[in-house]
Amino acid sequence: MTEIQPLVEMRGVHKNYGTLQVLSGIDLEMRPGDRLVVIGPSGGGKSTLLRIMMGLEDIRRGEIDLLGKRYITGHEQSGKTRIDSTLRKQVGMVFQHYTLFPHLTIISNLTLAAIKTRGMSKPAALDKGMQLLKRLGLESKAQSYPSQLSGGQKQRVAIARALMLDPRLMLFDEVTSALDPELVAEVEAVMLELAEQQMPMMLVTHDMWFAKNIASRVIFCAGGVVVEDGPPEQVLGDPVNPRTREFIERVFHIKT
Amino acid sequence: MEYEFQFHYILQAWPVLMEGLKVTVQLTVIANIIALTLGFVIALLVLSKYWLLRAPFALMIELFRCTPVLVQILWFFYCVPILFGIYLAPLPMGILALGINLACFNAEAYRAAIQAVPREQLDAGVALGFSPLQRVRYVVFPHAFRAALPVLITNGITLFQQSALVAIVALSDLMYMGRQVATQSYRPIETYTAVALIYFAISFPVSRVAAWVEQRLDAARA
Repeated sequence: MTEIQPLVEMRGVHKNYGTLQVLSGIDLEMRPGDRLVVIGPSGGGKSTLLRIMMGLEDIRRGEIDLLGKRYITGHEQSGKTRIDSTLRKQVGMVFQHYTLFPHLTIISNLTLAAIKTRGMSKPAALDKGMQLLKRLGLESKAQSYPSQLSGGQKQRVAIARALMLDPRLMLFDEVTSALDPELVAEVEAVMLELAEQQMPMMLVTHDMWFAKNIASRVIFCAGGVVVEDGPPEQVLGDPVNPRTREFIERVFHIKT
Repeated sequence: MEYEFQFHYILQAWPVLMEGLKVTVQLTVIANIIALTLGFVIALLVLSKYWLLRAPFALMIELFRCTPVLVQILWFFYCVPILFGIYLAPLPMGILALGINLACFNAEAYRAAIQAVPREQLDAGVALGFSPLQRVRYVVFPHAFRAALPVLITNGITLFQQSALVAIVALSDLMYMGRQVATQSYRPIETYTAVALIYFAISFPVSRVAAWVEQRLDAARA
């Protein structure tokens, strides 16, 4: 199936914070429609991987292609990272903490970037924003401010805000870990709906049940490299690598 | 003390004092407008990653914060025309001196507020595709302005009071007019008491507004 152009291609991505090596050579390929869940011990570079993909971090070495075009290049000699900001607009991201703009209403949170960075007209943006809110059952909150919403509602609005911009790839960085347990399901439901619509996504989560449900592929990251890569049944159910096995056993032990 | 207060002198001089107050308010309002905008720009420059942009403005802030306002006013009135060939009428010159002074104090308030903008808010700005300038406009400024607002208002009132110093260069503000009235009427006690009360009557309510704003912001954060 080599004729299908990969959505993302990472080659030899290295990242360090000062002397701390976080990623030491990540090679990764994502095909359109892939829902890639990244699991692994904390400090293993999961979130860093997503942040790099969003163009939020410099990389020391390596290159990333998106949609067949060069997206990010790390130049080791000059210490500079080149990021194509046009391609970056094809990527959307939702963060762990609610990052809605507190001074704007919900509907303005949705429309601002669409109008200012994508050149959408105001009526069109409002229309699209209201449609998205309707889909999420949040249309009554359009004129509310983020502080008047629950954590789960805020996180759903944050997802809608990213979807406003028609991303070709969505990144979810532990989007439910700051939520009260009873609010997690409503956010996960939105993500599962997106999965059904074949939205390509890359997500970091600690919720193994959710990972199993949403993933088309799971990678286990530890020590700055991809240790294991495969379908969820294999990586979560019957991992090959002893490090993955140990991690999975420990995580599922706590759960039962 | 056997002093007999004679306040009818004040009533007579009231229109003159009000004329002075008008100049004082003009001076304060325009200087504040300059300082609220210029202060933010200076704060951004001081936070720049380029040393060449940072250094001169950091020096400017320290110069204005570490010298008496009175000296700054005199310096502007006597040295700016000679050194830079800029000749302005007393009022614009007073506005310029006080405006730049206040801008430096506001820049410090903005700087702290800009540094306190949550990292994830900036990340979200990048993720949504905002250009660096748009991030400043739509993310950094709203956050920083709200966080700095109580200090900005307090700085603004302080300037209102310090503006009395321009009387020394014969700008006909409230203080200058008060001094005229006091010498002409030989009633300094009544006059300066009235002048003080006028300053207070304006400063006090505004400082209550600042306190109220601060409370509201604290409540919004909680």
